[in-house]
Amino acid sequence: MTHDPMTPSRHALARGLLGGGALFLIWEIAARGFDLPAYILPAVSEILLRFWTARDVLGGAAVYTLGEAFGGYLLGGAVGVALALCVTLVPVLRRVIVPAATAVNSVPIVAFSPLILLWFGMGAGSKVVMVAVAVSFTMFVSALAGFDRVDERSVNLMRSFGASRAAILWKLRLPTALPLILSGMRLSTVRSLIVAIVTEMLGAYGGLGWVIYQAVIVIDFVQVWAAIFVASAASLAFFGFVSFLERRLVFWR
Amino acid sequence: MMTRPQTDFTAAEAAMTEPAEPILDLRNLSKTFGEVQAIKGVDLKVQPGEFVTVVGPSGCGKSTLFNIVSGLEEPDSGSVLRFEGRSVMARDLLGNVSFMPQRDLLLAWRNVIDNAILPLEIEGANRAEARKEAERMLPEFGLAGFAKQYPHELSGGMRQRVALMRTFMFKRDLMLLDEPFGALDALTRTMMQRWLLDVWQKHRRTVLFITHDVDEAIFLGDRVLVMTARPGAIKLERKVDLPRPRNADLVTSPEFIALKRDLLDAIEEESMKTFGPSSH
Repeated sequence: MTHDPMTPSRHALARGLLGGGALFLIWEIAARGFDLPAYILPAVSEILLRFWTARDVLGGAAVYTLGEAFGGYLLGGAVGVALALCVTLVPVLRRVIVPAATAVNSVPIVAFSPLILLWFGMGAGSKVVMVAVAVSFTMFVSALAGFDRVDERSVNLMRSFGASRAAILWKLRLPTALPLILSGMRLSTVRSLIVAIVTEMLGAYGGLGWVIYQAVIVIDFVQVWAAIFVASAASLAFFGFVSFLERRLVFWR
Repeated sequence: MMTRPQTDFTAAEAAMTEPAEPILDLRNLSKTFGEVQAIKGVDLKVQPGEFVTVVGPSGCGKSTLFNIVSGLEEPDSGSVLRFEGRSVMARDLLGNVSFMPQRDLLLAWRNVIDNAILPLEIEGANRAEARKEAERMLPEFGLAGFAKQYPHELSGGMRQRVALMRTFMFKRDLMLLDEPFGALDALTRTMMQRWLLDVWQKHRRTVLFITHDVDEAIFLGDRVLVMTARPGAIKLERKVDLPRPRNADLVTSPEFIALKRDLLDAIEEESMKTFGPSSH
């Protein structure tokens, strides 16, 4: 069994925790020792304390943001895979859809945010759409690469057994593409949270990005850091969950 | 159990009237891809239960011939394709001929049993029953105890046996085997040949077998066909009058060697047309 560099081993996890602990220690000593003001760098202990005192706000914001990110993630994933499937089954579409998708993706996704906010409002809907747009391109590219890996000789073998197009899709094309679809899903987890948070900072009624934005306005940098930590933890948890699913589903590698 | 009623009928008829109705009858079969003529005027009759081997220089259109007979490609117009006594289009053969390509093409996400039952699943058979049937066949294919293994856990020879088992589970009277042992080492290959004859003698299907190995062609076949260089046609046809069951020491017998010499001469002549200095 080859080891995927993206799936953490137990040793890597221990080293990561150790490194994080060391970083926090240096941070704490530096912040206290140099008596840095909170807007430059608050002490880690203060940030951790804020987790507790602001647990309702932070927890609620994390759930809100994760909800948006997850919704957009599923929607974008479905759109990306469906588009890749269309292109695979109707090859003529490839010359139309691939350049169009590349054109959309060549602009930083945040550039679309004023329009998306205008169209879908300040609520969760606009964030879901933004995440979906961002994720769908990654998923389109991954899924297309996956479907392209299908061996034409395998398709012919299935045809010789009398298989219909639907049977070939279900029993051959989808499982063949699954490893690349899932690695695309794994890479999209982090991207979906980034896009959700950035869009919240541009206009929202809740979420971690909104918390960060509000805290900056009232010059509460401990709150900013606390929200960043929560966002980082949420992102890692999401990534870990999808990696776990991937290892379960693609067991044959 | 393995033969369908249609074959019994053909066999009964064959007993009364000679010659028998061939299961496969190709007349003037040709196939052109753009500028390239892959095969030209192939005439071939295969009798039910017969084991026919086909040898020829590389690129002689053997695989094109198989793609047509398995239904994947239509021959040029003017070609006649008859199967079980009826004139058919190549596509009518899809799902009616048991085809095994060169590579094993096992599905990585299916274990041995589930790979073997793939054609039955496609036919719409009950999955549990198909699995039970496959379980019973495992020992015969040297796969006892490997039901739950995945392809990446198997050796090349075992993977090939799974692919053959999949081909046998797709119970069709005509089996097409395209260099099934081509990728195996010499020792494994010899073992697989003997084993294939055992299995074939038990199940008595009609086999059309492509190889580039003359020894293999003689050892396995009732009849050996030599194809010409491209465009491929049947150059030479030899009956193999060697007793069955065949043993490994057969390959050193004078009859075997005489037959091999004839066939090699014919192949050599054809290879020279492709590679030789005399070709213009």
